[in-house]
Amino acid sequence: MTSSHIRIAADSVCDLPAELVDLLNINIIPTYVNIGGESIPDDGASLDRSRFFRDLPAMSSLPTTAAPSPGDAEAFYRAILDDGAERIVSIHVPEKLSGTLNAMRLGARSVGEARVTLVDSLQLTFGIGFQVWAAAELAAQGAALETILDAIERVRLHTRVYAIIDTMEYLRRSGRVNTLVASLGGLLKIKPIVRVNEGEVTSIGRARTWSRAVRRLRELTLEQTPIERLAILHIANRPGAASFLEDIGDLAPSDTLVIETSPTLGAHIGPGAIGVATLNAEWRH
Amino acid sequence: MAPSDCGGQALKRRFGAGVDNLSRNVDRINQLNVFPVPDGDTGINLYHTVRRAYREIERCDSDDVSVIAGRFAYGALMGARGNSGTILSQLLKGFADGLGEASTISAERLAVACNAAVAQSYTAVSAPTEGTILTVAREAAEDLQRGDRGSESLRKMLERLVATARASLANTPDLLPILREADVVDAGGMGLLCFLEGMQNGTSRTQVTSFQPTASLPAPAVHAESYGYDVQFLMIGADLDIDEARRELEQIGWSVIVASAGDTIKVHIHARNPAIPLDFAIKSGAALDDVVVENMELQVQQRQSEGLALADRGDTEPSGVSVVAVVEGEGLRAVYQSLRCSAIVPGGGGHNPAAEDIVAAINETPSERVIVLPNDSNIALAARQAADLVAGKQASVVATENVLQGIGAMLAFGDALDAEADFDATATKMRAAADDIRSVEITRASRSTSFGGLQINQNDFIALVDGTIRAASPDLDDVAVEALAALQTSGAELATIYYGAGVSARETDQLIRRLTKSIGGLEFEAVYGGQPLYPFLISVE
Repeated sequence: MTSSHIRIAADSVCDLPAELVDLLNINIIPTYVNIGGESIPDDGASLDRSRFFRDLPAMSSLPTTAAPSPGDAEAFYRAILDDGAERIVSIHVPEKLSGTLNAMRLGARSVGEARVTLVDSLQLTFGIGFQVWAAAELAAQGAALETILDAIERVRLHTRVYAIIDTMEYLRRSGRVNTLVASLGGLLKIKPIVRVNEGEVTSIGRARTWSRAVRRLRELTLEQTPIERLAILHIANRPGAASFLEDIGDLAPSDTLVIETSPTLGAHIGPGAIGVATLNAEWRH
Repeated sequence: MAPSDCGGQALKRRFGAGVDNLSRNVDRINQLNVFPVPDGDTGINLYHTVRRAYREIERCDSDDVSVIAGRFAYGALMGARGNSGTILSQLLKGFADGLGEASTISAERLAVACNAAVAQSYTAVSAPTEGTILTVAREAAEDLQRGDRGSESLRKMLERLVATARASLANTPDLLPILREADVVDAGGMGLLCFLEGMQNGTSRTQVTSFQPTASLPAPAVHAESYGYDVQFLMIGADLDIDEARRELEQIGWSVIVASAGDTIKVHIHARNPAIPLDFAIKSGAALDDVVVENMELQVQQRQSEGLALADRGDTEPSGVSVVAVVEGEGLRAVYQSLRCSAIVPGGGGHNPAAEDIVAAINETPSERVIVLPNDSNIALAARQAADLVAGKQASVVATENVLQGIGAMLAFGDALDAEADFDATATKMRAAADDIRSVEITRASRSTSFGGLQINQNDFIALVDGTIRAASPDLDDVAVEALAALQTSGAELATIYYGAGVSARETDQLIRRLTKSIGGLEFEAVYGGQPLYPFLISVE
């Protein structure tokens, strides 16, 4: 395999499926999930996502998530450079929500900062994935650094990530999005509709019932047509995701992906949630 | 002054006697409740309204009737409670306006003022209903203007006014079938008659029971919003139409206050372009005076650059809109607070807050733009009055009919805040969300009656489904089950049961178990409401 002079790297929160990662020669650094005394890397092999979410409600203490260590980051970058890459564009979960970027920065320092360009995706799950995907396609074509960074920016601006959450319990316990939780009110059962934007998770709606939340999610999705890329996201709710995809019908691109999100994110949001990541076709203009 | 004319102090004594007579008849008026639900306490509402009115003139020595009537009306506007109280306050405002600059009341002037009172009161309600206090006032006032009445003495005119009012009141059951069914006359009309009778008879009385002075209204909050210009000016001219001016100015800007005295209209408005309101004033033919234009944005920047802390706006919402809601019950209050309601006025379910309580709550909020949720059709008018009375803020009423609709509106308020929707869009969303809520309110019948084929005994539990009585039984759970069955819950997914003071969580769970068995496809949620009088309030959506 020929490696282009720029390589694209990301963390496992980007939720790209293994086939795409292989195809586009992307390097993924796993984040960790701590369950009980164990720290398990979300590397696609050590942790079975579906099983994790199935077990989540019964776990006596809520799992926590952890960024890779600076040492992990250094080893990760060194391996890519040793493989022949001249530069690395490394796209990550928002600094506002995670220590990952900081660890990656420390790792980059050890291998020579000039060779690693760090990007705060300001997004989550496939919102990061779209940026990584577009960047990797350009890198494979031998595009210049500026071209790749410009594309990442435009993809970001044309990406929308929305989710509807079945229970507030996990958000509340996670403590990472206190302002979000406060804005939703705590005394009634609410199915929040949230948006990931500019590195933050914000509420945009409150439905009292699941089917109303789903209707709203559908409206929000259809607002984004023409959709070039679409990912239907879920946490332990494949039937919900499948029926949502059916609802979207012909407006969904034929290569729409259905993805169970990473436990790193899912542990904070909880089982039952479904979401969408859309990339509007306008990003190319 | 002609020998039979009435001066300011005489009018004050007559008002005092009217208040006194109304106060003595509170229970009688209360007993005329039309609906067997405990929210028709017209007597107590009228009583609070006129007591507050009298407080304004208690220490006033003016012998000028325009001063006495004006102050009395102002007090009534501030103290207005319930629909009848609000209508009475509008009658008094119209009466004062009708007296104009007069220093004494002649027979002729009385007729003019009474008819101005009626005109004002009819404008205060969006759909005037005949067979109510409005009819009693109108028929009595109309009679004063008939034929040669102008030559009668003031004393004779008052006698006639009371006699016509009495006859009109007796006729109310013929105009309003619901009164006939319950075999009562209209309670508000009765209250007005009591007040007028007192005024007619009680000239010798000098004083009604004195009141404790209460704290004055809080000052309007600091204008910390940094948008546009604050524009104030006087419009002077003979033929100015204040209503038209208000309408036009409301299109131009916000926080509009328009007040008139004689040939002068005082305008206060916030606008993005100060030239537009001034241009409107010139084009309307007015001469301008006392023009003050202040750049609110610069004022705020100045304060910031001077390092002065702005007013504490800890819970200011980004879009600058706050909500005031009328809510009873600690659990429900907490629900409202958790949904970002800025100020709560206790009331509802038969205990109606005064317009000035709502004004105070509006002033308490950190925002310049405030939405009021009355949560009761008997409070809607007082809320509208408060929205009109409030100074320096824009207030709008979303006329929710119960606390359940109000909660629906509060959820939409959160969505509107997230979307940084503007004031009107926020109100519209809240209105639509309130309309989506179907409600079951369960309480006890205050008297025996029959309604829509239901035989209701005093103290039975009754269920109002979307405002209409649909079930009655001595058994609380039976009523709840029957009401939800009557609601046609197909398509509905969730019923939230707010249990009131005196009902336990365990009793609520028992009800839910029974409902789950008898009504399929509906999810139930129990929430502590703590409201008095209503063991269960159930919203279905």
